[in-house]
Formats: sequence, C-alpha cells, structure tokens
Amino acid sequence: MDETAPVGERGGIARRAGGHIMLGLLGLLCVFPIYWLYATSLRAPQDVYELSVLPWPLSLDSYADAMAKNDVAGMLLNTAIVAVLSALGQLLIGLLAAYAFAAWRFPLQRPLYLLFVGTWLVPFQATMLPNYALLGQLGLLETLAGVIIPTLCSTLGVLLLREHLMSFPKELLDAARMDGRSAWGILWTVVVPTLRPVLAALGILLAITAWNEYFWPAMVLQRSNAVIQLGLRSFMGTEGNDWGPLMATAGLACLPVFALYLFLQRHIVNAFVRSGLK
Amino acid sequence: MVTGAFVEVPPAAQAAGGAADAPPAGARSRAPWRALWRRAVRLAPPYLFLAPALVLLVVWTYRPLAQTFYLSFFSWNLVPDVPMVPVGTANYERLLTTPDLADSVGLTFVVIVAMLPFTLVLPVVVALLTRRVRGRAAAAYRALIFAPMLVAPVAGAAVWQWLLDPSAGIVNTLLGTGTNWLNSVDTSLWAIIAITGWHVAGFAVLVVSAGLTGINPDYAAAAQVDGASRGQITRWVTLPLLSPTLAFLLLMTVLLSAQWTFPLIDTLTQGGPVGSTTTVYYLLWEYGFRSHDAGLAAAAGVLFFAGFMLVASLLARISDRLSRYDD
Repeated sequence: MDETAPVGERGGIARRAGGHIMLGLLGLLCVFPIYWLYATSLRAPQDVYELSVLPWPLSLDSYADAMAKNDVAGMLLNTAIVAVLSALGQLLIGLLAAYAFAAWRFPLQRPLYLLFVGTWLVPFQATMLPNYALLGQLGLLETLAGVIIPTLCSTLGVLLLREHLMSFPKELLDAARMDGRSAWGILWTVVVPTLRPVLAALGILLAITAWNEYFWPAMVLQRSNAVIQLGLRSFMGTEGNDWGPLMATAGLACLPVFALYLFLQRHIVNAFVRSGLK
Repeated sequence: MVTGAFVEVPPAAQAAGGAADAPPAGARSRAPWRALWRRAVRLAPPYLFLAPALVLLVVWTYRPLAQTFYLSFFSWNLVPDVPMVPVGTANYERLLTTPDLADSVGLTFVVIVAMLPFTLVLPVVVALLTRRVRGRAAAAYRALIFAPMLVAPVAGAAVWQWLLDPSAGIVNTLLGTGTNWLNSVDTSLWAIIAITGWHVAGFAVLVVSAGLTGINPDYAAAAQVDGASRGQITRWVTLPLLSPTLAFLLLMTVLLSAQWTFPLIDTLTQGGPVGSTTTVYYLLWEYGFRSHDAGLAAAAGVLFFAGFMLVASLLARISDRLSRYDD
C-alpha cells in the first residue's frame, strides 16, 4: 500500500492511529451481528437471554434442538445440490458462450452480445409470472430442478469470461490451430487449463450466490421448505422467539460460505470486485 | 461499465473450419450447393457454442418479458385452467388510480436515497482511511467490513430480528429502550434500510478501494509539488478521478436497492406495518402471489421495467460524461 500511496498520504503516528481506531470500530460493528449469531447459538438453552459477550458454558444443545425440529441436514444437502449444480451449469454454459464471442467474428455478434448485456435491465419481477406459469406447465414447480434450470445462464459469467478470453494470447490459439485441433479441442486443451484460476473464482462466486439466493426458490418452492433459506424463513415465522435453535439454523446456513471464505479469501474478494467492475 | 468497446478479433473460424482449401464456387454442377453447405459449416461453430446460453436467455428472460407485456392487458388469476379475460388498459388504469403504486414508489425512493450513505459515503471514507494504515491491516479491516456480504439475507434477517427484539434484544438493552423497531410504522423502514446497508456496504467498500488503487499516484504527487494540502488533493484530485467508480455505485444503488431489501421485507415485516415497508418489488410480489392478480402484477412489472430503462440510460449517460476526467 505504502509505495503506491501518494507522498501526501504518509502521515504521522496520530494520523495512522486515528485510521486504525475508526476502521477497527467500523470493522467490529460490521462483524458483531455475525459474532452474536454464533454466540447465541452456542449458549446453553437457559442462558440464551444472557447478554454477556462471551458465551459460557458452551453448549451444542441449540444445534441439537434445531436438527430435531427441522430436517436441517436435508435442507443443507438440497441447498448444496442446488448451489453446486447451478454453479457448474453456469460455468459450462457461460464458458461456451464467452468462447464464441471471443474466438470468432460472426454476423449478428454485436446484437447478440447486447442481448446478454440487456438482461441487467430486466428486473426479476417483470418476468416472474410467465416463468412461474411455464414451470407449472413443465411440472417443475416444487422441485429442485425448477430452482436450478431457469438460472443456468448467468450473464455475469458470460461477460466476465468473455473479457478474460478477449485478453487471451492469440498466438496460443493460432499455434493450436496449426496443430490441426478443432475449436472444441482447443477450448478444453488450451483455453480451460489457462483459465483455471478465473473459472475457480467465478465458480465460487456463483455457488455462494446460488446458496444465498432467496427470491427464486421462494417462488418455485412455495409449499415446501426444501432449501435452507426457506426453512429458515418458516422457522422465523412460527417460532420467532426460540432464539437458540433459530440462531443455530442461521449459523449452519452461513457456515459453508464462511468456510469457503476463510480458505479462499483472496479469490473470493477478487471475484466480487471483478463482478462489480464488469 | 458493461457496454465496453467492441474488440475486433481475427476470424479464427475460417482456419478452424478447414475452409482455406475450399474449391472455388461453380467448379462442378453441384458446387453452388456444396459451397453454401461449406459456408454454413464454416459459420456454424460460434452459433453452436452460443446456443445453450442463448436458448436459456430467450426462454427465461425475453420470452417472459414479452409475455408480461401481453399479460398486462388481461385479467387472470394464475390458474392454468381459468381463461384469461382481455380487459384492455384497465389494469394500468387501476394501477395509476389506486394510491398503492404511488406510495410504494415513494417508499422505494426513500430506500434508494437512504442507501447512498452506505454505498457511496461510507465506502469513500473507509477507502481514504485505509490509505492511512499499512497494507496488511488495511486488508484485515476490509475483510471484516466485507464479511456481512457473505451472510445469507435470511440469516441476516434472523439475527437482526434477535438483535432488535423489543424485550430481550441487545440493541434495546444497550439503549435502555423497548422499541419494537421492526413493527412500528415510524421505525420499520429505517430498520430495513440499516440492515440492508450493513449487508451491502462491504461490497461497495471493495469496489471503491479497487477504484482507488487504479488511480495514478502521479496526479496527487504533482498537486503536492504545487503546494496543495492533503484535503485539497482529496477534494480536487482523488474524488474527481474516482467519479466513474462512484457513478457505477450510484447506478447499482438505484437499480438494486429495492432488490436488496426484498428478502428482509418478506421475512421481517411482510410489507407492514400498515404498508410502511411495501416497496415496489414487494407490491409486485403481493399482486402476483398474494392477491393472485396476474394482470395487475404484469402491468406493474411493465411500468417498472420502463422506469428502469429510463433511469439506467440516464445514469449511463451521466457516468459516460464523468469517465472523461482521466485523459
């Protein structure tokens, strides 16, 4: 940071300390609800209403309680299936489309590209009723397939991968072509191996998004609570005051994402930033 | 922005399709057909690679958009066996004459304006502050501020419901009050806004930090040589250079704020009390899936889409103008 900062930004100790204090307070404020979520979930049932900062004695009773009341494990499994399948599908379909845009020049390329960009302007709510009706006709309402299939084309994925493929060294592609490889072969033997870090970061981002998705599952699965976000909602409605198990369920709903974040922090942050700066 | 400059790419397909050794057209009697076929084969690959995404896009985005437009002129209750009754523009007339729409648009406007401190002001302050502290600490602070972004909206709603609980929640205990933040007309919308802000601020901080690192430090150095103070450099050099990033965040806030609040409203307040948190999207959701009035919901969807286009094109124009600073 320091070497890139302008000369004027290097301040005295007081200036730096001020920065630390303000950022530290803000950071704590942001993390506190997350801490409180887990702290409450780890208190013994009779201590749930205590407001001591450290939960002690620790207890997993709330988790056991949550598991007993709801099929939390089943919901987590369903959500994982949705997240993994939709992320993989989005990656594959996005990769193919991005490859088409980057490796060829073809008639209608520009209008087709704008068709992808244009989806940013279509709010989900303007398309939900016809999509709901179509899912009904296909018999996919109340199924996980109904949650996954309509999300399989991620515009974000297509645009992000296209940008990366555009900066792909053309010499590599030309060399592969000289070897007589097909376009399909070049994609898998030359492009994909080089693009692996980008694909990994994008895949994680898409999986997290699918895991946390609320609107679409809420519409497709109106009568069941097959995914964790909906299970959590029904829990809130019926037993809103049973804070221990509720916090335990919420904690479990966030755990996989946090675990991914801790291990792959840099990749995830980069992916989020890139997704914003399309 | 998304609409980046079109980059010309060499026509890879021609070599890949093996067309280089194609016979000249008309060499044999069947040659025109064969040439046409070869031409099709040569042109096909990009379309084939594009097909799956394109089919999904048409089926799940553009077909329903057109159908929503069509549906907005009918009365229908979403049940497949019940016929749709054409009603002309009655749905639009109903929308524009009931106060619901105007109220929800007003609330949405409040939400958008109230989100700006979280998505523009706070990120700029944080980004400027992180330049004061050293590299690793700055990254740690950013990671802390970013963490709420990863919390599932419903889980966030659950924990905030607990934090804001009127009798035992820690917020009321610390303040010594017994306010029912989420269930009183005066506070419900502000509670939703604060929770949404907590959720998305980290993302905005990251975007601004990225924008800030992209600024050439020579400008600030030059201003300093000319005797500019730190505050002057921030005001007259850094912020103007950051304006494309800020314009992008403004666009995102305007287009997505109401989306961000939806899961919170649906789980915490259901639009209430007395409609005090019914934003446009929640209104649409209610029309469609609570009142089962598909025609009215479709008409509202069409109006919102039109509004969206208008605002987006306006902001895109503004951001175009702003991004000419760094020349």
